[in-house]
Amino acid sequence: MIIGSQKPIEEIWEMVRDFRKVLVFGCNTCVAICHAGGEKEAETIASLIRMRAQQEGKEMEVNHLGVMRHCEPEYFDPVMDEVKKYDLILSTACGVGVNFLSDRTGNIPVYPGINTSFYGAVEAPGNFVELCSGCGNCILHMTGGICPIARCSKTLMNGPCGGTNNGKCEVSKDVDCAWFLIVERMKQLGTLEKLSEVLPPRNWSTSRDGGPRRVSLEHIRAYEEQESQKAATAGGKK
Amino acid sequence: MAQEKIEEAPKPYRPYGAEIKETRPYSPCRAACPAHTDVQAYVGLIAQGRYHEAFEVITAPNPIASVCSMICHHPCEQSCRRCTIDEPLAVRHLKRFAIEKSLDYRRARRRLVEKTKGKSIGIIGSGPSGLTAARDLADFGYSVSIYERHPVLGGMLASAIPPYRLPREMLKEDIDDVISKGIEVKTNCEIGRDVKIDDLAKQHDAVLIAIGLSLSRSLPIPGVKGPGVLLAIPFLEDVAFDRKPSLGKKVLVIGGGNVAMDVARTARRLGVKDVSMVCLESAEEMPAWKWEVDEALEESIKINHRWGPKAVRREGDKVKGLEVVKVKSVFDANGRFNPSFDNDQTSLLEADTIIITIGQMSDVSFLKGSAVKLDERGRVEWDPATQMSSAKGVFVSGEVVTGPGSAIAAVANGHRAALAIHLYCQGEAIEGRLPVQEKEKIEQMPAQVVDKINKEPRLKIKHLAPELRCDSMVHFEIGYDEEEALKEAGRCRGCGGGAVVDQKKCMACLTCMRICPYGAPVVTSVSEIRPEYCQACGLCAPECPGEAISMVSYDVKEIRRTLPQTVGKIEPKRQEPVIAAFMCTHHVGVLGFDLPKNVRTIPVHCTSRIDVLDLLKAVEAGADGVAVVRCGDGTCKYRDVARRVEARVKRGQELLKMLGFDPGRIEILSASSGNGGNPYATVCADFSGRIKQMGLRGTK
Repeated sequence: MIIGSQKPIEEIWEMVRDFRKVLVFGCNTCVAICHAGGEKEAETIASLIRMRAQQEGKEMEVNHLGVMRHCEPEYFDPVMDEVKKYDLILSTACGVGVNFLSDRTGNIPVYPGINTSFYGAVEAPGNFVELCSGCGNCILHMTGGICPIARCSKTLMNGPCGGTNNGKCEVSKDVDCAWFLIVERMKQLGTLEKLSEVLPPRNWSTSRDGGPRRVSLEHIRAYEEQESQKAATAGGKK
Repeated sequence: MAQEKIEEAPKPYRPYGAEIKETRPYSPCRAACPAHTDVQAYVGLIAQGRYHEAFEVITAPNPIASVCSMICHHPCEQSCRRCTIDEPLAVRHLKRFAIEKSLDYRRARRRLVEKTKGKSIGIIGSGPSGLTAARDLADFGYSVSIYERHPVLGGMLASAIPPYRLPREMLKEDIDDVISKGIEVKTNCEIGRDVKIDDLAKQHDAVLIAIGLSLSRSLPIPGVKGPGVLLAIPFLEDVAFDRKPSLGKKVLVIGGGNVAMDVARTARRLGVKDVSMVCLESAEEMPAWKWEVDEALEESIKINHRWGPKAVRREGDKVKGLEVVKVKSVFDANGRFNPSFDNDQTSLLEADTIIITIGQMSDVSFLKGSAVKLDERGRVEWDPATQMSSAKGVFVSGEVVTGPGSAIAAVANGHRAALAIHLYCQGEAIEGRLPVQEKEKIEQMPAQVVDKINKEPRLKIKHLAPELRCDSMVHFEIGYDEEEALKEAGRCRGCGGGAVVDQKKCMACLTCMRICPYGAPVVTSVSEIRPEYCQACGLCAPECPGEAISMVSYDVKEIRRTLPQTVGKIEPKRQEPVIAAFMCTHHVGVLGFDLPKNVRTIPVHCTSRIDVLDLLKAVEAGADGVAVVRCGDGTCKYRDVARRVEARVKRGQELLKMLGFDPGRIEILSASSGNGGNPYATVCADFSGRIKQMGLRGTK
């Protein structure tokens, strides 16, 4: 899922200080699970903004709201009339949600209430770890299920660099060397000989290098009205 | 249309969560109570010092709650899930405490009920069942008349239960609650003698026969007729109405049930030093409650077990004793009561007075020749599905038809009869509409949960010493004081009052499953919290990122909503800081102790229930400092609380820091009530001093 983390209140304050009516709008899926931007966190941020406004002696109306997801219009459409009563929407969804909502609020700005961090897993409660970069061309079967693109600091494809040190990365002793992990795991799986095969230079066009991406499923995309909705989202390949 | 009329039924007080509780298994205490009193709810309210609300929960299903607080055989306690941990909650005694605390409140809330139905109901008998039906029917809007042969209302409660067990002023409060609704009372009015049953049926739109079992059974043995041999009920009635029965120096009570105990213990209190009992059963088989037996033994009453009465021996008119024969067995192979005797073994139990207490029956002589049919054994014919007798519009309830049982069971039957009468008067079918007695209940506590709960013995109920209590009819049981009651109520594990998941909001994030110390949540497609595991600690709800978890017994957002009022107006020129103090009510005395005036208390049943947002909202409401006052080391009733609360407070502090506040404005304080003094006031005053040093918000 998508992992988010909260912004410092000062940064938020700088964004919102000149608005009179602010809605902190939570998203109750990925970012709620990681305790960053669900409705509950939206309420916390709203409370912090109100207190900050009071400190500055500013008259401000700050409320909160939440819907299941900001990345599908069916979830927020029912509350759009309410949402549009505000001067600013501070969305605590991931960047996807902020973009998506922003395209649908007319002259009302949507600002990010959190930082979108990465695609990650819940390693332990409250501990989220990045494990995938969404490169669009998966090779995990070649690397013992450990992704060198997401987890090697240098995104190396054919073994570790000289900075590997007792299983740790030279970037930080808190970061595992992905290639060390790959070798150990493949030893355990009995597939170490696979590594003797040199991986050719990658085609990065499936990743960000190919520009903004879109997945289009002809068999699912059956409705005409969806076509019109698609047009409302900026940045996608049509 | 007719269906709509039923919606007008009286709406008893509903505690928070009452609706959702109806859709879930009952707590075992509630399921065991014949009237389904929501024990968990009222014990929880007592623990929070909300005595009047507790009173409302207690009396909603039970019009003789004061009586039950004294004499109930409390099946709730026998089925308490705490039995598998240590000892059951002292539910009955807690009930008594809440009722005693609500005396002025209950008197002030008595109201006439408008008679909207234009129909009248006659109720014969004013015992538990009759009183209950009277209250319900008055609440429905009927004119109700009660006919009672004794000079006072209450049935056996007034005329037979000895005052040492039930002080009459307690009974009077219950009766006054009912009568104040505008019920016509006709005492000294015996049906059959003063009014004919058929005439009564003509006067009213419906009649309820709730006459109980007012006749004592006697024994068909030689010598039983004559002076010196008494029957239990006339004896107890004499005592109740102060007619001073004449007893000799050696009293022997025949019988081993609870009424026999009443009789023997009453005789003891009439100044008879030598009281003994004889019964067929062994100590283990005796039908009397164990606590009754123990208390009787304390009062130096002797019990002769496994002897059967054979003949009353007399010298002239005077009773000399009871000839008894040894019992071989009381029950047959099928477990039925069918005593067999060893005729070779006999004995003489010396006595000058014998009181026979071997059972009761009802006096239905007034029904002979009426439209109400009796069966071949002389009992009233009735249909349990409709509570109606063979005569149209004449209903029956209580022990006259159910047979001997408890007061609270008669209450439950009275409710059924009242509803049946209401349906009948509205021209509706009764069958299938009366409530079912059996309720699904929460399973026993799994062993792995029991292992995680600290043992805390039940607070002993104090009695007057035997040498003091046998001198008079004075009530011998001493009520809990507030400290004791709060402590005892705090032992409740809140069965059925715990966490529930709103499946629409749950995103199956597993947080609850990871956090619960008792393993209650199971997450598949969504989370489900298993009530038999849940301890209602409240730890999970503030952790749920989707706010999908709520608690059955309290509103998790109530604190947040009410904080501005709790914190109150912030005086800009104040000299002392305003402190919002979340206090665990498991601190005995939190409610009773005086705290410094600048401390605004927010009682919580455990600090585990406090959310980061609650802390923040207290600051937003203007508090200069926020304290979380938790139980001292190792005294928390639940698991893993301290760690989680510390994490939440730390998070609150970080957020405050982001706003430029001193994070020390939120602090965890710890206090124990065991060491005397007022530790809560001390820790709060110290904290207040630290906040004053930091400065009062918004002042110079």
